Amino acid sequence: MATRAAPTRRIKGDVRHEGFLKHAGFRWLKIATVLCLVVIASYLMIDITPRHNGGSWYGYTLGTIGVLLILWLTALGLRKRAMTTGRWSLKAWTSAHVYLGLSLIIIGTLHTGFQLGWNVHTLAWALMMLVILSGMFGVGVYAGIPAAMSDNRDEMTQVQMLDALRAIDRQLHDAAQPLPHDQASAVQASLDQDPFSGGLLRRLTGNYPNCGTARAQATLRQWTGAKPDTGDDPLERIDALLERKQATLARLRKHLRLKAMLEIWLYVHVPATFALLAALTAHIVSVFFYW
Amino acid sequence: MTFLIRQISHTADGREIVRQSTLPKPHLSIGRAAENDIHLQDLSVVPDHARIEQIDARRITVRSTGTLGFDVDGRTVTRVDIDTVEGAELRFGGHRITVSHGEADGIVLSVQRVDALSDALEEKDEARVFSLTGLLPGRRGMAWALVLSILIGFLAVPIFSYATRPAQDTRNIYAVRGERQAQMKQASLTKQDDVTGDAAWSPGPLSQTHHALEGKCESCHVKAFVSVQDSACQTCHNPAQVHEHAPAARIAMARAAPGMGGRILSSFASAFGKPGDGACVDCHTEHEGAGPMQQTAQQFCTDCHGSMNERLKDTKLGNAGDFGTSHPQFQPAVMTVAPSLGLKLPRFDRVSLDAKPVENNGLKFPHDIHLSRAGGVARMARTLKGQKPYGDALACADCHRPTADGVRFLPVDMETDCQSCHSLGFESIGGTVRTLRHGEPAQVIADLRAFYRSTGPARPIALGSTARRLPGDYAAAKVGASYLRAAAARPGNAEAAIRAVFSRGGACYDCHVIAPPGAGGKANWQITPVHQPMRYMANGWFDHAAHKIESCESCHAAPKSSKASDLLLPGISSCRDCHGGEQAKADVPSGCALCHSYHVGDGAPWVPANAIRDKTVAKVIALSGARVTGSADETLGETKRNR
Repeated sequence: MATRAAPTRRIKGDVRHEGFLKHAGFRWLKIATVLCLVVIASYLMIDITPRHNGGSWYGYTLGTIGVLLILWLTALGLRKRAMTTGRWSLKAWTSAHVYLGLSLIIIGTLHTGFQLGWNVHTLAWALMMLVILSGMFGVGVYAGIPAAMSDNRDEMTQVQMLDALRAIDRQLHDAAQPLPHDQASAVQASLDQDPFSGGLLRRLTGNYPNCGTARAQATLRQWTGAKPDTGDDPLERIDALLERKQATLARLRKHLRLKAMLEIWLYVHVPATFALLAALTAHIVSVFFYW
Repeated sequence: MTFLIRQISHTADGREIVRQSTLPKPHLSIGRAAENDIHLQDLSVVPDHARIEQIDARRITVRSTGTLGFDVDGRTVTRVDIDTVEGAELRFGGHRITVSHGEADGIVLSVQRVDALSDALEEKDEARVFSLTGLLPGRRGMAWALVLSILIGFLAVPIFSYATRPAQDTRNIYAVRGERQAQMKQASLTKQDDVTGDAAWSPGPLSQTHHALEGKCESCHVKAFVSVQDSACQTCHNPAQVHEHAPAARIAMARAAPGMGGRILSSFASAFGKPGDGACVDCHTEHEGAGPMQQTAQQFCTDCHGSMNERLKDTKLGNAGDFGTSHPQFQPAVMTVAPSLGLKLPRFDRVSLDAKPVENNGLKFPHDIHLSRAGGVARMARTLKGQKPYGDALACADCHRPTADGVRFLPVDMETDCQSCHSLGFESIGGTVRTLRHGEPAQVIADLRAFYRSTGPARPIALGSTARRLPGDYAAAKVGASYLRAAAARPGNAEAAIRAVFSRGGACYDCHVIAPPGAGGKANWQITPVHQPMRYMANGWFDHAAHKIESCESCHAAPKSSKASDLLLPGISSCRDCHGGEQAKADVPSGCALCHSYHVGDGAPWVPANAIRDKTVAKVIALSGARVTGSADETLGETKRNR
């Protein structure tokens, strides 16, 4: 008789981990959706002449809602430094931050009335969209990357990864002692390689075309390639070590790439948020300065 | 001759371990190979790298055995002489050999590994190397840089520039108006003392008409944090020309009381110094794009006119909320009393077309006979086809000529439009036809009298001229006598001819209403003046040119009209065949401003090109050459467009 999957043994109240996206049964997703629908419906129903723009009473209303939301969303930066639980837990706050932040796409864009141009007003809108889009990227990587990172690490810590590399380097160094100078310097090139080298692009793509270790191995294989593996050639041992070093480097680099993805969006999200606050200030002041 | 070798190494916790050995040899070998005197486990070092030879008690020579050199005090060499008393520092790969002079003439070589085996083995700051720190500028730094540049560029610079403008800003609205207008024109040519950096504040381009003010924000936004006032508009637009269509107090009374939301809004507006209802900017919005200015919304009119009788009890105007659904029947100004004795000027009254008004314009003119495709008129038209541009029957355009702008029609002119059929000729002299003078009855009478006075009766053929008459020829004498009698009596015949011309069957009587001598205390024949108005609706605008696609008969029921007193104006239902309200699904959705001007004048109301959504109509307007779009070359102060 085919067995059915046993029902999950969860006692009432025994809640397993629930991420900020699903928090409280998508409560903030629902709230944000309702908010967006109300805004869209009122935008379509309220007849502003000659056409919708930020300067109508409806535009001012949307603008006020938008700026209050932006200020509150920015406050996550303060709030996250004080972790609490419960109804106003940091998780609830983050959930609201994500979904209300997304609703700003609708509120902010309808506030413009689709009148965009090369001015400070559109700058504020563009920065807002940049912040939201980088936030969406952030939510995406937070959802997917930790699992991939955990798989890649294979229960090693960062220091252990570095230590593994160091152990291989020491063995390489010892094994290469009897080599003639040209072969030894090929190994030395691998040893001199900084495993953390490479710019932002290398970090994000995980693509290192000029890897010293790969080149060292390629060079050594010019000598070993034509010879049979007798088992006592130090070059064969070095080749095996370089193979291991490449594998370790690959794991480290993948780790670095995933970690960079986790971090990079904040380098956009945070400075753009402050730029947005500045542009918003200029936007509001200029609108009323030249009223 | 001894070398003292001190091998220095470090434990994991950094403690130094020194192993000493003495080599009583005059020369030492250095290299990676194990058999060397100084064995350096360093892949950068050649198996047999160099020799150290003692020259005397103080001096040694170091030289490479191969081509690979070594460093001495930072310089790469292959051979060097060293005074050990002075000392030196040699560098082979990752190892350092410090040369010094020991006691008892011994030469001390301190060998120490200074570089890590590999880059990975060097000390790494975990928090730093595993993160993006160092690869990107810091978040805090970027945030500050962005915040400061935006605040300075988009806020501080314009405000500073605004605050430090030349004190005697000539473009102040409080300046003398005429002077200011001249300066405004000049300002449109020069770009000096503008506020710098405020272009980024403009939410959108100005309309064509105000294009010259682009970038001169302070022309209209005169005071910081005070919204644009009417006075700013009036520096260019003469208030004498741009005025309300009713006294301000009446307009205020007519305006519908705002609802709850409206009251909240207006209280906000007044709290923030916005001008109240009816301000220029209420209706004429700007920064809406670089086309023609935005059309005034129908709502702006219907706020008052939609239910005006509720607030203005004494108004004679009907409520008008939407052309398609709520607009009173047209009320043309009809001449109800013609000028007569004691009434020098005619009296006009506005009468609704529903009341089927008639207007006695002084003419006798049956449109039906003239437009009929059969009968005498059509026959006459066919006869004259070669000389005149007539068809097989008369058409409207054969008699009615449009004005130069095509908006309306010129009064029918007897000489041009009627005379080809209705001839006033009375005598032909050498092929030239003499005609009675139209419009001048006194001249007609005088001409007829002169005609009878200057011409004799028809000369009998039997009347001899110079031949001598034979006595007894009674017949000839009779002819002569009767001719002389007729000649003597001929001037008296003029009165009969005059009477005939002005009476039934006469040339004048056919078309005109005529008063005989004595009527109205006048001694002569009187022709009732003809009244041909060119415009019946002074408060509405109708452009015939825009309606060229329609035939005349589709609106004017002329072919069925048998009397000149029929008022052939079409009613509102005829217009509604094509025109509906602003939001209507009609062929031509029409807001109030299509026909009416808020600032009353006798010109066309201001209508931007995009107000007319019907493509055919817009095309016809374009073909007719009518100016519908705004243009920037209008003179300042002109607000109306006279088509």
